[in-house]
Amino acid sequence: MEVNGQLALTVLMGVFLIAVAAWLARVEDWRSYTPLAGGGTVGGTAEQYVSEEKPSGVIRWLTTVDHKDIGILYGAYALVAFAVGGLMVVVMRIELADPASTVISNTFYNSLLTSHGITMLFLFGTPIIAAFSNYFIPLLIGADDMAFPRINAIAFWLLPPAALLIWAGFFPIPDVIPAQTAWTMYTPLSAGAGSGNQMNAGVDLMLLGLHLSGVSATMGSINFIATIFTERDEKVSWANLDIFSWTVLTQSGLILFAFPLLGSAILMLLLDRNFGTMFFSVDGGAILWQHLFWFFGHPEVYILVLPPMGIVSLVLPRFAGRRLFGFKFVVYSTLAIGVLSFGVWAHHMFATGIDPRLRASFMAVSLAIAIPSAVKTFNWITTMWNGKIRLTTPMLFCIGFVSNFILGGVTGVFLASIPVDLILHDTYYVVGHFHYIVMGAIAFAGFAGIYYWFPIYTGRMYQVTLGKWHFWLSMIGTNVTFFAMILLGYGGMPRRYATYLPQFATLHQIATVGALILLAGQIIFVWNFVQSWLEGRKVEDGDPWGLAEENLVTAEWTWFERKLQTAVTDGGEEEELATDGGNPVADADAESAADDE
Amino acid sequence: MATKTFDKETLLDLTVNMVPLVIILFFVVAFAIANPFGFESLTSGIQYGLLIAPFVLLAVLTYLSGKAIAGAEQSGTVYPPGQATVPGVGPLHEEEATEASELEESDSPGAVEAAEETA
Repeated sequence: MEVNGQLALTVLMGVFLIAVAAWLARVEDWRSYTPLAGGGTVGGTAEQYVSEEKPSGVIRWLTTVDHKDIGILYGAYALVAFAVGGLMVVVMRIELADPASTVISNTFYNSLLTSHGITMLFLFGTPIIAAFSNYFIPLLIGADDMAFPRINAIAFWLLPPAALLIWAGFFPIPDVIPAQTAWTMYTPLSAGAGSGNQMNAGVDLMLLGLHLSGVSATMGSINFIATIFTERDEKVSWANLDIFSWTVLTQSGLILFAFPLLGSAILMLLLDRNFGTMFFSVDGGAILWQHLFWFFGHPEVYILVLPPMGIVSLVLPRFAGRRLFGFKFVVYSTLAIGVLSFGVWAHHMFATGIDPRLRASFMAVSLAIAIPSAVKTFNWITTMWNGKIRLTTPMLFCIGFVSNFILGGVTGVFLASIPVDLILHDTYYVVGHFHYIVMGAIAFAGFAGIYYWFPIYTGRMYQVTLGKWHFWLSMIGTNVTFFAMILLGYGGMPRRYATYLPQFATLHQIATVGALILLAGQIIFVWNFVQSWLEGRKVEDGDPWGLAEENLVTAEWTWFERKLQTAVTDGGEEEELATDGGNPVADADAESAADDE
Repeated sequence: MATKTFDKETLLDLTVNMVPLVIILFFVVAFAIANPFGFESLTSGIQYGLLIAPFVLLAVLTYLSGKAIAGAEQSGTVYPPGQATVPGVGPLHEEEATEASELEESDSPGAVEAAEETA
């Protein structure tokens, strides 16, 4: 009887789904919406495809398939996530100013630690890169749009629910608590084993959210590969493709091979948690999770760092007054990193007791992968050497990137060595090392891009003085915080703990001061970003950085120039406002913003 | 290897990827000569597989990318990266020739004197 009831329900659900599909198919002529790469449409002529007007208001942003709009959506999303993840860590650092547990509970600290990591890597890092690549790659390669505009939109719209699921434990939902597994989600803790509280639905929701963000990234990567391979302008051959597109192409390849594996591992973990499978609970299950996770996790590091390297390789030469030194070295070393990144995953597992012969091989490839990164660093330095350097805000962030990347990279080379790693594993040294990369390098390159292209996506210029305050506070804050962490690691301070021995108090307090300096810098950034977008001086020149002088204008700026000219043709020139006395006044905001030189 | 595609210039560009290849090769030989943990078919097989697989994949990708880039250089006009569609930007060799001549001019004694005066 029970079986029959279930059968009836299943049939009913099937009929319902078919009815929904039928209704969706009839409610609109969907074929008229399907653009093809060639500009035609399925089942119709090119003229049927209507895209000349965008709806206004919120509807525009909800329905857009324009790569530039989607880029802005990704950017806004990433910055909100950056604020959330940043505020989470501010609470953690305030807690760590005192050795005992004083401000928040240990369990809440664990929750913040987990969410800070996942938020910054998956909800800020990947989307902020997608923001730049969506907006600028079609412009740089001379494409009309992405190869699959609607898939592009779907990939973005998967992200807001992903964030809600990942943060679900923090919402006031009865019986749902935040995950406390750290971003690595090591089993058996994440499988809910033992007497802890990690069997809670909050962990399941976090896993589902993470899976959703992985689906989004995979869809995006397929789109970028298709776009860069098939949508380039005739004149844009492999020999003259820009460096940012090269890095995004490589990154997309990495995503394509890495994220599906994470998705599979997450599903296996969800099955273990909810459906009684035992992938990770039998002998060797814990080490299996680590292998699966890090086979994704290490390429993820390069997924996050390659496009920022591309941004720096693109922006830095513009303010050094010359072309990038050894352009092809940078391209080939990017591809080398792409391949080798899949051969180093177990250097995260040197301390697990895996066979020493396997450890030795992972050490060898980890040392080899340092070379392509070092090559790039020397190329950036050589590009600046004897160049006509202009210390604009984006250039400052590029130089900050190089500086921090050297510190983060050199500390990483030491960790590649097994004996050193066995001493420093699971200490704050590791935390300091990778934060030099993710904050000091990746976020800095993000800021370089945000400032460099600010005139293009806002039509206005940011406030220069505030931009420089933002840089210097970020640079000082980063180095104070993360150098203190490296010293803490040398002292033997284990990572991930909410409390610690009093002997570590001074360095922890220095790190907290550094984090607060960083916070001050980011508050200035938000103020500058929002106010300048709304009220900044309008940019009237398609080449606001004066790149034409050195013949360094790239394709996106010529698009911007065309856009400005078209706007004038369409709308005519704006009338100058007159004061009460009848004298025309310049835009009030122009006075507050000086040229960024 | 098609020697026409892989001319001296291209091979020089590809040396950047030869370095990690040589490092991996060094460890393959080193582990064959000095192997303190002994030889066991499965584990040692994986040990060498972990070195040989990245080596082969990197060599293949380097070859394919080198072929694609060098092939594109030979079959079409090469512009400065990211500037192919920018009006007024000529082929790369012309741009480099202009830059070189400008550099020579700035190196001339007159220019140096002028620069010193400015300083």
